[in-house]
Amino acid sequence: MWLAFFCDPVAAQRVLRWGADPSGGAPYVYTDPANPDRYIGYEKEMVDALAHAMGREAEFVPSDWETLVSALQRKSFDVIVNGLEPTGDRAKQIQFSKPYYIFQLQLTVRRDDNRINSIDDCKNRTVGTLANTAASRLLEQQGIPMRSYADPVGAYRDLELKRIDAVVMDVPAEAFYARNNPKLKQAGPPFTRGLYVIGLRKGDDALKAEVDAAIDKIIFDGTLETILKKWGLWNDAQVEFQAPIRSGTASAKVEEYTTTNATFNWREALWRLTRAAAVTVLIALGSMVIAVVLGLPLAVGQWKGPAWLRAFCTVYVEFFRGTPVLVQLLFLYFGLPVIGIAMPGWLTALVGLGLNYAAYESQVYRASLEAIPNGQWEAAYSLGMGPMLAFRRIILPQAFRIALPPMTNDFVSLFKDTSVAFAISVWELATAYRELANASGQFLLLGVAVSAFYLAMSLPMAHLARLLERRMSQRATARVEEEAVA
Amino acid sequence: MIRVTELRKRFGNSEILKGISFDVPPQTVLGVIGASGSGKSTLLRCLNGLETISGGTVDCDGVRLEANLSHSEYRKRVKDLRRKVGTVFQHFYLFPHLSVVGNIIEAPVHVLRTPKKTAETEASELLEAVGMTHAARRYPASLSGGEQQRVAIARALAMHPALLLLDEPTSALDPRRINSLRTLLRTFVDRGHTMIIISHSMGFLGGVADNILYMEGGVAVEFGPTEKVMNSPQDPRTKDFMLSADSTD
Repeated sequence: MWLAFFCDPVAAQRVLRWGADPSGGAPYVYTDPANPDRYIGYEKEMVDALAHAMGREAEFVPSDWETLVSALQRKSFDVIVNGLEPTGDRAKQIQFSKPYYIFQLQLTVRRDDNRINSIDDCKNRTVGTLANTAASRLLEQQGIPMRSYADPVGAYRDLELKRIDAVVMDVPAEAFYARNNPKLKQAGPPFTRGLYVIGLRKGDDALKAEVDAAIDKIIFDGTLETILKKWGLWNDAQVEFQAPIRSGTASAKVEEYTTTNATFNWREALWRLTRAAAVTVLIALGSMVIAVVLGLPLAVGQWKGPAWLRAFCTVYVEFFRGTPVLVQLLFLYFGLPVIGIAMPGWLTALVGLGLNYAAYESQVYRASLEAIPNGQWEAAYSLGMGPMLAFRRIILPQAFRIALPPMTNDFVSLFKDTSVAFAISVWELATAYRELANASGQFLLLGVAVSAFYLAMSLPMAHLARLLERRMSQRATARVEEEAVA
Repeated sequence: MIRVTELRKRFGNSEILKGISFDVPPQTVLGVIGASGSGKSTLLRCLNGLETISGGTVDCDGVRLEANLSHSEYRKRVKDLRRKVGTVFQHFYLFPHLSVVGNIIEAPVHVLRTPKKTAETEASELLEAVGMTHAARRYPASLSGGEQQRVAIARALAMHPALLLLDEPTSALDPRRINSLRTLLRTFVDRGHTMIIISHSMGFLGGVADNILYMEGGVAVEFGPTEKVMNSPQDPRTKDFMLSADSTD
């Protein structure tokens, strides 16, 4: 190896950098469970064979499925090899190699569910799939309610937990993640046929020629067949597809296969953004209510409670402030079902953010309550008020005035924090932006639209809070105004 | 009206009140005078239940505080005591989020359950008596120190206390206002109120108090009619204080 390096530096530098998403990526490319520093998968082996045929060295760049196309354009790597389907909207941004695999889709349901036997039975059911795939386009086209996931694991888990009714997935992934799960079953035979291709930047024509030749070569010499057989992915469709190439008569014909040709539709996109904004508002307002209501007992408990209650409140606050909200949401979403509490995603986000922000609000309240001079308590007691009455009528209203500006601040940031809900497949505004922009490549325009949505939500709230603050501070300045009038 | 016997108050190891005794007959004013740190503010806080007493007794209009009562019994009696005793604090502690009327009717409405209309009528009578009718709808932050004090007096009186405690009422006032405060307080005494006024201004107490209690180091050094304590004090410590007070007044 080092000999090659010294003797032929040019060849050693010729690498083929390929991008794919290894998280939940079996059997395409994924972390080897037996040896976690290593990636394995049939596409990993295929790329190694391709690179060998091209006289290059394969270098894997782990990436994220949703952003593969934009990462390719940013030159994070040279090719996408990740079970990529050629779609109309992707064709606007990148170019494709020859196909190397024929995939089909498989519908999966819970074993005890006899309602669904084909995709036609799903009209009023929620079906999970990966975002931005042939499967997701198909569901969109047929108007089937869809929940999109970042990886197959989350989709099948939610199916088990009855958060969704079915999952549509490419057969390779279905074979790996669902087929041996005793709680799930296949609903009907595999359907539709589509192509996997390699994605390249537009203009990289020399590389495309190299890749196409290498694909023909590994098909022709049977290398790909060996790999696919090893992974249990060899089937009649592949035989049919490879036959003309291997007989040397022609290269594969693409036209016979379905390419889901979704093109970007602005009206549709804005409508989906609007629905996502509604989800965002629902989550933000709901968690706000939890935070405001729960924050008060936490604050009072930590401030005046007996020792055990103070300790409990302190632990609560430090736990929720000291761990990332993302981890808390994942815990609530995937961890709680273990003890039998399975909430839908939006409710998990609402409760999780509410619990998290309650910790922050409690500290705002506590600081505000402590800022009220002791004399206010003494004056209230001297007038015969009990502690509860004094707190409710005298201390709390004053503390609220102090707490309002920092609370407003927290809630504007809560609006933005709803975006972490994308981690648990809630279709809120940030998720919507990611998916629509990745599908269309319209990062800039959609970004402006999404920002406008966020501002349209947070600005009125900031304005409302300012009005409230001004109304309250008018009492303090009332005299100045009266004198000005006189 | 109020009788205090051998009242003691300890904070940890230091005894702030070392056996104070006095009584205040109905419709009279007791002036409590002494240097800073003499214990007069602590005395006042014992009389309205903001401090628990460590020894002796306080009898006020049928309520008796004793040092060795159970915690709950003591609290119950303090609650009763606070219905009898009103306090005007040195810094007034008006409720800044409530208007002047709101400050006055807050306790009658929520503690005595007086109907709001009745409480408001009473409040406007009190505001007239303290000369603050014009400010009824204003908020405390927009009032001067003297105005705030008058509202604080009205607020305390709205609970119909048998005894009114005033802590350093002259500290926020200029001489002209001190005179009018003196007149105002005497008016309320004539209407049947009893008062204990803490002050270090002998000049002010001379014109308003019937009796004077001179305190030093937690001890009641001298207690007697104002005339007598001012003009012929029995204790040399009182004499010294009067001399120094005269030169500063």
